[in-house]
Amino acid sequence: MNIDYNKLKTRSRLIRGIRDFFNTRDFLEVDTPLLSPELIPEPSIENFRTRLVSPYNDGHELYLIPSPEIWMKQLLADGSGDIFQICKSFRNSEQISPVHNPEFTMLEWYKTGITAEENITLTEELTAHLALPSTPEACRPPFRQMTMEEAFVEFAGFSLEENIEFPALTAQLRAHQIPAGESEGWEVLFHKLFLTLVEPELPQDRPLVLKNYPSRLKTLSKDIPGTPWSERWELYMRGTEIANCYTEETDPVKIREYFRSESLEKTDHALVPVESGSSWVEKLAGFPESSGVAIGVDRLITALTGDKSIQGVILFPLDDILPISKKQPE
Amino acid sequence: MGQIKAGSIAKGTFLLEKDIPFIVVEREFVNPGKGSAFCRLKLKNLRTGAVLKVTHKTQDIVEEIDVIDVASQFLYADGESYHFMNADTYDQYEIPMASMEDMQYFLREGESYKVVRWGEESLDIKLPPKMDLIVTEAEEAVKGDTVQGATKYVKVETGLTVKVPIFIKEGEKIRINVETKEYQERVNN
Repeated sequence: MNIDYNKLKTRSRLIRGIRDFFNTRDFLEVDTPLLSPELIPEPSIENFRTRLVSPYNDGHELYLIPSPEIWMKQLLADGSGDIFQICKSFRNSEQISPVHNPEFTMLEWYKTGITAEENITLTEELTAHLALPSTPEACRPPFRQMTMEEAFVEFAGFSLEENIEFPALTAQLRAHQIPAGESEGWEVLFHKLFLTLVEPELPQDRPLVLKNYPSRLKTLSKDIPGTPWSERWELYMRGTEIANCYTEETDPVKIREYFRSESLEKTDHALVPVESGSSWVEKLAGFPESSGVAIGVDRLITALTGDKSIQGVILFPLDDILPISKKQPE
Repeated sequence: MGQIKAGSIAKGTFLLEKDIPFIVVEREFVNPGKGSAFCRLKLKNLRTGAVLKVTHKTQDIVEEIDVIDVASQFLYADGESYHFMNADTYDQYEIPMASMEDMQYFLREGESYKVVRWGEESLDIKLPPKMDLIVTEAEEAVKGDTVQGATKYVKVETGLTVKVPIFIKEGEKIRINVETKEYQERVNN
């Protein structure tokens, strides 16, 4: 075996550093199920499904969680207060690459009484707390901040706000020679423009918080009233998404509507159909004003150590342990 | 010609976009946090050399071009095109120089290469990953300059300038990585 024990020690130290950071700020560490009978319907994520078998009855379908969100939010609704968790999460059907492994480590925290904006500071403090002597400048605080609208104006050369309706967005795709099918949804058109023209150009000299995502990308984040934006940001380091944050939606009507529309969409497209529990919507009644952040820990460690690929900082990456390599040709 | 899903595109795949042949120079899978699975491509127009950046959903259908490799002898370059001759049929092929940046550094007259043909059109020249070339211009190492890792620049027979260790002399053969154009090792005859 070819295990780099120095890297392993650094990983262990960083994960301990995360725990110290949240413990000293009075967050409660929680440990929620990885096997779940229902999931939040997220049409863009494919899931792993398995089965609880029994000699006495039919058993039950279970899913490996793509993030601990569904369980942590139930705790918050129940009045847990500030919580954090470091756990494995699972996403199916993503291509194995320097930033993807089907099983990965996620850090997720929720702090009550704050907004996504205030969580930027907390994330910056966490990064400062974890930074190693060898951490590249590009992965150290202070963070740069930019809104999605500013990024489009600067790197795509047009205002997303002024082109946010379907016909204008389609015209922009055509103007930039980006092929798109006639029946594509708004999400696909947006991402084709964003991923081709904007994301590769984002500044990489410092970590970047890209904030105010279009509210047409359906998430459980709050909309900014009177604008096409929502209170959501993503943290980029060296061009890779590291973290995602919302001011969490608390309006039960909007939460129910999210479940309804996303369940339909998921049923239409998913390779692995999932149970997206309506009971869960009821359990969220009384959800507190709060903001949550999810961080891909393997990606964060890769950034902090200056590594190039998450396969360098995780033990036994799937590509190495599959009996026949399913590696994509380069 | 075949229809393939964009998710199966690899670096080096030949594609047809709007009736123009392209080669995939870079391919990267991107799964935005809250979005579908995409692959981001950098394509080179094989007629003009122009670079086109596009993003496909991995489920999108794209047109792959069926190409064949034809062993051909490099004849000469005339400033606009590279000229090759099919080793079996003696047919002559032209490939616009504009689409083959820096290719001249790896072509030697009279040598055989693989020309990538699509119907009646020559799209690309396949080079081996490494090539051995003779150093034609090199400064003498300065006596006493024994610093470990000291380097200098030399020119090889095709005109390419390469950074090499200080001990490399004129007339020697060196192995060069074709993609990075970097020195790899000295080749002993």
